[in-house]
Amino acid sequence: MADSITNLTVAFAIISAAVLLARKFRFSAIPLLVLLGILCGPHAPHGTWLDLRLVQSTESTALLGRLGVLLLLFYLGLEFSASRVVQGGATLAKGGSIYVGLNFLRGIALGWLFFHSWPETLVMAGITTVSSSAIVTKLLVDLKRTANPETELILGILVFEDAFIAVYLSILSGYLLAGQTSLLTGLLAGLITVAFISGLLLLGRRMGPYLDRWLNMRSGEPFIVVSFTLLLVMACLAERIHVTEAVGALLIGLVLAETSHAKRLIQMVAPMRDLFGAVFFFTFGMGIDYRTFGPAAWLALLAVVATVAGNLLSGFIGAWVCGYRGRAAVNVACTIMARGEFAVIVAGLAAAAGVAGILQPLAALYILLLALISPVLAKRSRWIYETLVRPWETRRERERQTVGG
Amino acid sequence: MALIKEAELPGLGKKYMVELEGGERLGIIIYDEGNRELFYFAPAEDEPTCSVTLTDQEARQVGSIIGGAFYQPKLLEKLEAAIADLCIEWLKVAPQAPVAGRTIGELGLRKNLGVTVIAVIEEVDSKKKKCTAINPGPGFTFVPGQTVVVAGRRDAIARFEGMVTGEGR
Repeated sequence: MADSITNLTVAFAIISAAVLLARKFRFSAIPLLVLLGILCGPHAPHGTWLDLRLVQSTESTALLGRLGVLLLLFYLGLEFSASRVVQGGATLAKGGSIYVGLNFLRGIALGWLFFHSWPETLVMAGITTVSSSAIVTKLLVDLKRTANPETELILGILVFEDAFIAVYLSILSGYLLAGQTSLLTGLLAGLITVAFISGLLLLGRRMGPYLDRWLNMRSGEPFIVVSFTLLLVMACLAERIHVTEAVGALLIGLVLAETSHAKRLIQMVAPMRDLFGAVFFFTFGMGIDYRTFGPAAWLALLAVVATVAGNLLSGFIGAWVCGYRGRAAVNVACTIMARGEFAVIVAGLAAAAGVAGILQPLAALYILLLALISPVLAKRSRWIYETLVRPWETRRERERQTVGG
Repeated sequence: MALIKEAELPGLGKKYMVELEGGERLGIIIYDEGNRELFYFAPAEDEPTCSVTLTDQEARQVGSIIGGAFYQPKLLEKLEAAIADLCIEWLKVAPQAPVAGRTIGELGLRKNLGVTVIAVIEEVDSKKKKCTAINPGPGFTFVPGQTVVVAGRRDAIARFEGMVTGEGR
């Protein structure tokens, strides 16, 4: 057995390789990290002449991965601002809720079709509903579409999805950790979590000015140390009252986002999130045995097909409602396809709660496939528009003319 | 005047859409990490034809060129030209400069030269901390090593530059 620092060194060497490769090929790092986790972790392929089990799953890798989730959600909370959602206005709210709502229903249907049981169904919905802000934003920059009119809508929908996943994670974790089998009691547990959270947020609002003054430190060292401690304290507290620590992290992020230090904290936390977040995606992959892919592969493939079709439709309808027509609407539908960090977080949550083990390999395959498909779809949006939507539009136009004449 | 639309791009930065006279549009994105990206949209097109990316520093340089800080077009109307003639310059006080050791009031900068000292940036050596005097009064003394920010007409600034750097007299 290698000692822990050697193990960690090997792990980080592989993580660096993944991140560098992703950069080189303009590919998202998240699926690559999960893939390398599968290929180099304790369940890696090994034979007499080749042993790929380079990284052991030790306490230290698990701890760093756990910190990764905490920081990912802490950051989500910090960056989230209610004013942004409100700023988007009524049209954006309509488009966003239609998009998220349709996708969520599709996720529920898919989950029920696969598993016929509520915990798995809700996890499945969580995995497939929300697209990856990281991948989509990167795609927009790479395709030079940031100045396009529909990009505002795409980014608005992403903000909307962040809000949705924050609420959904809280409910889901309450439901899963309560260990309930019936939907109603489980949802009740979830609602208690939400009540607790909103109570804490209100308290946080009240505490805002005090926190503001208390955190008013000029030098960076005490500031980041105290903030990190706050994060850990909150994670501990959440764990104590049977809410997952991730939700605690999200919560303290939301509370601190209201203080005037939010911007500074975001700058300081971002590199930590990148570092430990990468470990989290890697350790998630390490926990997956590719030998269990058999049944998961079919489900993942089905889920991908359903997601692509459903997403094209819901994205198009959402964009249509917001007043985007033609190519712009198709661009919206094609770009917000990728799934990533949230799918992994939800699947990780399910693993912690001991829900069906098939969900993790399923999620891994799912995000890998979508990460491969989504850039192609986004690039080919013109072709999709011309073959699928154009004929429909011209027919509509012609019908209108005949009715008018 | 051009119509400029501003929009927030959450997670990316800010977008400015400039409607030009010819019907073309210019999209300017300021990314949160500092880069700028410019997009050209042909009339009635929703997809940009071409784009260019600038770093923060390049964008500032290009911005001041476009703003006319170095050279102004001669054909402008009088009012606009008067504003465009305004020049703001950062000048470092040289050790043997004529102004060193003298105050703004003594030199009578505004009266004699027509230049106004907007600010003086002083470097406190021991800690390398910068200390700025904004809109200093007539009793302010120039010391070698300071950076003086002045505003005025281009020719006046040029004369003042000679006095600060100790050259061109």
